[in-house]
Amino acid sequence: MQLQDKRRIAVLSAYALVLHGFEAVLPMPVPWLRLGLANIITLVALLLYDFKTAMAVTLIRVTLASMFTGTFLGPSFIMSLGGGITSTAAVGVVHAVFRNLFGPVGLSLVGALFHTLAQLFLAWLLFVQRAAPILIIGPFILLIGTVTGVVNGMITGLLMRKLSAEETDNSGSNRLPGT
Amino acid sequence: MKKLIKKTTLADRLLLLILLAVSVSGIFVVRQAMPASADVVVEIDGRPAFSAPLSEDRLITLQSSCGPIEVEIRGSRVRIKDAHCPNKLCMKEGWVSKGVIVCLPGKVVVFADTRGKTRKNNLDAVTG
Repeated sequence: MQLQDKRRIAVLSAYALVLHGFEAVLPMPVPWLRLGLANIITLVALLLYDFKTAMAVTLIRVTLASMFTGTFLGPSFIMSLGGGITSTAAVGVVHAVFRNLFGPVGLSLVGALFHTLAQLFLAWLLFVQRAAPILIIGPFILLIGTVTGVVNGMITGLLMRKLSAEETDNSGSNRLPGT
Repeated sequence: MKKLIKKTTLADRLLLLILLAVSVSGIFVVRQAMPASADVVVEIDGRPAFSAPLSEDRLITLQSSCGPIEVEIRGSRVRIKDAHCPNKLCMKEGWVSKGVIVCLPGKVVVFADTRGKTRKNNLDAVTG
């Protein structure tokens, strides 16, 4: 791995961690509900660089965030890790297979969908092991995930346009502030 | 905002519509399908004789070994309205929304909202 790659991953992970932490401060109607703002960084990493960078950023973000909040290797960490890996992998595959079919919003929705599915599966596996509660809560979580997915996708779209505008200004020397 | 919406591809919008449709219809489909899981099961002599959702009001008469027994479901609760056993303990049990009513002489057991569990896999205790 090039030094450039490492620095890039480190900076993106830092951004993701800040968003992850910022999110925890926001008041939420339901405690386990998250906006998933950190996924914006995962998407940016994928669109700006490659799948490997996006996955590395996701893994570092989930691991470090759980260490900071003291939930490392706990159930919420496993839920978070499973959702992160599954959604990043799904978005990576969709982005690679259908190159120009989906924009940031579509990719974000794919991520939200697979994040929801993975977390519901893990919740079933780890906590309830009965289909009924998962089926009851599933559509609600999918709906919330879809809404936050659209918002995150739009922010990602904005960010990408800002970054590409900056790139043309600086003739490609500075792709992301700090990298 | 307008620019943002214009920037989305057709596939983006289709995916959004599909996800919204699936989740919203999913909420209603599940709500329709689920109340049936909380229901009343009547066993007579160890065999299931009757079952119905707890949400529908009804009055039924079943034949037990000590005469007809009337089971009433109303307002998500169930009771044994009339029985012809000597002590009528099952009638004194009153309304039950979650649990079991037993009529020992008639060998009738009414399960209310026990979520698929019957006494076969729901033993209180086993002694040697």
